[in-house]
Amino acid sequence: MKSKFVSNLFAIIFGTALVSYFFLPLLAMGRFAFQVTPVINLTWDNLFEGWKFDSITRALLNPKVLETATLTAGLTLLTIFITLFALLPIATFVEVARPKWKPWLTAVTILPWIIPPVALVVGVAATFRPFAPWFLSNPLSLSFFYAIWMLPFSYRAIAGQLSMIGAKTLFEASQSLGASSLTFFFKVLLPNIRNSLTVATLLIVAAVTGEFTFAALLLKQTFPVYLIDLQSEDVRSGYALALLVIIATAVLLSFVTSSLRKRGGQFNAIGV
Amino acid sequence: MVSLVSVFLLWPALTVVFKAFFSDAGFRLDSISRALSGTYQQSFLLSTQLSMTTAIIGGVIGFYLAVIVDRMKPSSKIRSATQAWSAVASQMGGVPLAFAFFAILGTQGIATHILRNFGIDLTEMGLTLSSYWGWVFVYLYFQVPLMFLIVSPALSAMKPSWKEGATSLGASDSSYWLRVALPILFPVLITGALLLFVNAFSAYATVYALSSSGGQLVPLQIRFILQGNVITGEEDLGYALVTVTMALLALAMISIQLLQKRFARWLA
Repeated sequence: MKSKFVSNLFAIIFGTALVSYFFLPLLAMGRFAFQVTPVINLTWDNLFEGWKFDSITRALLNPKVLETATLTAGLTLLTIFITLFALLPIATFVEVARPKWKPWLTAVTILPWIIPPVALVVGVAATFRPFAPWFLSNPLSLSFFYAIWMLPFSYRAIAGQLSMIGAKTLFEASQSLGASSLTFFFKVLLPNIRNSLTVATLLIVAAVTGEFTFAALLLKQTFPVYLIDLQSEDVRSGYALALLVIIATAVLLSFVTSSLRKRGGQFNAIGV
Repeated sequence: MVSLVSVFLLWPALTVVFKAFFSDAGFRLDSISRALSGTYQQSFLLSTQLSMTTAIIGGVIGFYLAVIVDRMKPSSKIRSATQAWSAVASQMGGVPLAFAFFAILGTQGIATHILRNFGIDLTEMGLTLSSYWGWVFVYLYFQVPLMFLIVSPALSAMKPSWKEGATSLGASDSSYWLRVALPILFPVLITGALLLFVNAFSAYATVYALSSSGGQLVPLQIRFILQGNVITGEEDLGYALVTVTMALLALAMISIQLLQKRFARWLA
């Protein structure tokens, strides 16, 4: 009995420490963004003075923010499109017709873990720059690399549900009822895997909104790259906007986990 | 998808490996040996050390968190909140994370300020965010939740009958953990630690934002060469650094695949 009390107490202390570790930095960030009092002058007496929300309005009205956010939004859409276009047909085909290929497909989709963004950029500079410079000069070219980079996550979201709904059986059933392969794909398969498509899409949105390495190294001014410039121009706006991004990502991803839990799955953060 | 991967992943990666070993004059090993000596050797050691430290500390904390959460009821609010927040924090390796830590523990940070009023000067003690342990501290922000997400499914897959069987045979709580649970979970724990290692090794943006001396880490050395901040003709060195990095990460990922098979046996 006593040892259970001690271990519970320890768990509570541990939990409190973790909660402070995870949330105090965010609170401090919020204070920095929205309170004009410099830290040096801060005392317990003036803790509630000088709170102003001009920094976030300034950030949101900044034309550069709008411009880079538009680019990032475009990249996100294109990445989603490429992912679905490249992934859905082959994942379905392998699940329905060639289950023996599955381990190979899985192995291919973990390659991005072995080739991290900074390494891939070196390769891209060595190949695309001499052979297809026009391709890299377009900032939207980043979306192809983003689609690859998210492959471990997007593939698992989709492949997991394909095997869960028994795509093979559904295919055979729809064929025996006289449906063509296309009818099967659009009328049977898509409605059944809607949930995992949403998850994959939201994961891509969250990741592209925060991606820094590819964009910075390939000299494209996307939203996360501009966020750093903004921080050196107007510190408080930079902090306010960064906090807003964190909160938005949190809302988005908690939506992902709750929709996953509804179907009884768990968030696979690792893609392995 | 196969063509997407071939063009945008394999072609660039294999070109780098090829160029690391072959010049116009033929086969060579000089760039690889340069990448493994002197400053660059130091970089690999530092990156490996940082990745291992954060993988071990993050792994232990994340595992303990998962054990505590696993004991809660499935309907528990804390349980679902922890899962949701872990999904968020494990993805937060970027620049905003560095901003958040500056706001609390930077030289103008609020915690630094409060501690100074109590006569504790973190900067004088060498505990700054730009120091090695400062990086470790920040890295744990995404490493701990990642470990939690890896271990949680395995913990909930543990069959209650194993625990009941052990107890009815007279095993205490600690001997159940030591003799039954940990040996079964061992492959998962190592998998988790290896993934944390890979994750930390590739991390780039956070240390880049935290400190200028972060330039010693492998990804930042690669970036330095990539941006042409060195004498021309140094591209070969960049190719060699990338090749060694990929070899290291490939080794970790292959071990993970082998370990996954071992744990899967228990669930069958």
